[in-house]
Parts: sequence; structure tokens; C-alpha cells
Amino acid sequence: MSARARVAALFFCALVPQMAAAHAALVTAEPVEALRITARYDTGEPMAGAQVTIYAPDDPATAWARGETDAGGRFDLVLPTEPEGAWAVQVRQAGHGAMIHVARGSAEGEAALVVTAGTAVPHLLQRAVMVALVLWGALGTALFFRRGRASGFSGAGPDASA
Amino acid sequence: MHLPDGLLPAGMALAGYAGAAGLVGLSLGRIRRLPDPQAGVPRAAMMTSVFFAASLVAVPVPPTTVHLMLSGLMGVLLGWFAMPAIMVGLFLQAVLFGHGGLTTLGLNGLILGVPALAASALWGGFGRRLPDLAALLAGSGAVIAALAIFAGLVLAGLPPGIDRGAERAALSVFVIAHLPLVLAEGVIVLAVLRILRRVEPRLLPHG
Repeated sequence: MSARARVAALFFCALVPQMAAAHAALVTAEPVEALRITARYDTGEPMAGAQVTIYAPDDPATAWARGETDAGGRFDLVLPTEPEGAWAVQVRQAGHGAMIHVARGSAEGEAALVVTAGTAVPHLLQRAVMVALVLWGALGTALFFRRGRASGFSGAGPDASA
Repeated sequence: MHLPDGLLPAGMALAGYAGAAGLVGLSLGRIRRLPDPQAGVPRAAMMTSVFFAASLVAVPVPPTTVHLMLSGLMGVLLGWFAMPAIMVGLFLQAVLFGHGGLTTLGLNGLILGVPALAASALWGGFGRRLPDLAALLAGSGAVIAALAIFAGLVLAGLPPGIDRGAERAALSVFVIAHLPLVLAEGVIVLAVLRILRRVEPRLLPHG
């Protein structure tokens, strides 16, 4: 056995125990894309300590994972790449709650995570217009039936004043 | 206090629709038997719009805010008209503002409609002899009843795996936050009836 072969054998023997018993732990770290979920009531306060349930795309009936929001109503989550499809995230507390859906973009160059359905509060002006329209409808209904009564046709059916 | 979509099992939502439909049917039957069924419609229409808009009024109760419910007021002023009026108001709230879900419309109708009919019965029983006390009790009692039905439904419909203890604690906080509303709604009913008695006694609900 040459001197070089002896060194090689020694080197190999030194490696063997590690490979066989796997005593060493290897810890690596890599940045991944996480999802931050923020849950609020429509009055603006955060839903603190609310229960979060995540459903996988292939099984929307059983919870894939559970968690709880922090004091600011936030919950951070890393979704696996498999299975593909829309993940559902439900936040609930004391009988209130909502659900959003998140999908992982499949095409290259597409944003990795796409929130496909969330909830939003309508604009203040929009709300005011909607309230005004409902009030107008109610006022119209009230006047319609009052007019029918005033002209002496009360009890003659809904089209009495038409 | 509106149940949203997706929190309760589908069976409960269906049962809620069945129960609410039954109550609406009963109410419409009673309305038809009134001497002049159309006489109550203008008032019901105006109260529906008040009920609809009231849920947008947030009353700050630290650390949270609560919405006016007006279930007792609807019951006292409308009688049997309260149930259909509440269903119309809840439908508009769900569709326009997302307050409460469409699948849970029946359950929400029961949460607010049953207390309203109870308040109406209470007013019918004591309204003539003890108007002030009956008004206060109708307004406050309706909120308590609605809270109890809401909490009962939420606890009954918890899916397995949800932390029951945490949910019960959150519900307790929710109920305690609504205690000022119990008083406030009683005072609202009392005030409305007193004003009506002084200004326009003909508008007072018979009872």
C-alpha cells in the first residue's frame, strides 16, 4: 500500500462513523415568503386573540393548521408549495368572522402569493348613498299606502291607489 | 350581532331559514286577520328603514363598539309587522353592507325577531297598566334575549377543533360589552313612547 493510498484510507475511515450514525445536525436557514393576515372588525378595532383556521385546497372540510391572532389582530403564515390551489384562511371570534382565499401563482414571473378573495368595507360615500336610497324606498312605500287610505280605497287591495 | 356566512354548519343555517319562515308566515297570517291590514304598512316601512340604518350607528363602549339593535322598539311599535320588517331590514343589511351573511339570514331573523315578538307580547300584556315599566322591560329584555340566542347558537355551532374555552371567553367579553346597550335600548323605547304619548297619542301602539 502506497503512502497516498494509506492517507486516503485513513480519510475514508474518519468519514464513515459520521455517515453511518448521523450524529451531527445540520441547520440551515433561508428566507421564504410569508403571508400576514390582519383581522379587524368593520369598526376598525383589531380582532385580538381570534382563532385562525387554515384549510388546504385539496381538503376544504378539515383544518390543515390552526393558530391565534396577536394583540394587533395579525397572524403570519407560510404556505407550502403543494398542493396547488386556493388555500382558505378563516378568522373567527365570538360569533364574528370572515374567510379569505390565497392561491400560489403557478406561472413564472407571477406574484408568488395571490389573495383571491378578501373582505373590504364600502366607502363612506357609498354607504351614505345606500342608506339614503333605502330611506327613500321606505318613505315611498309609506306614502303609497297612506295615499291609498286617504283617497278612501283602504282595504281594497294593494293596487287601490295605483 | 349578525352571524356571518361560513361560521355555522349548513344544517343550522337551513333550520334557521325554516324557523324564520315559520315566524314570518305566522306573522303574515295574524296581519291578514287584522281589521285593516294595510293600516300598519306605512309605519312598518318607516320603522324598517330606522332598523336598517340603526345597525350603522356604532356606540363606543370601551374597549369595543356595539351597534344599536332596536329589536324591542320594533316589537312594541309594530306588533306582528315586526317580523317581516326585520327580515327585510336584515336582507338589505346583508346585501349592502355585509352585516351578517345571506346563508345565515334565517338565523339572524330569529336572533332579532323572536325578542321583537316577545317585546310585542310584553307590551300587549302590561302596556296599558304600566306603560313606562313595560316599555323599559321590552327594550332591555329584547337585547338580553337576542344576546342569549346569539351566544347559544354560536356555542351550539362550534366546529370540532375550535378552542371552546377561548370562544366562550370571547363571547363573555362580547356580552359584557353589550350590557350598556341593554340599558340604552330600554331608555330608547321608553323615550319614544313618552314622546308619542305627548305629541301624537293616535300613533301609540294599541296594547
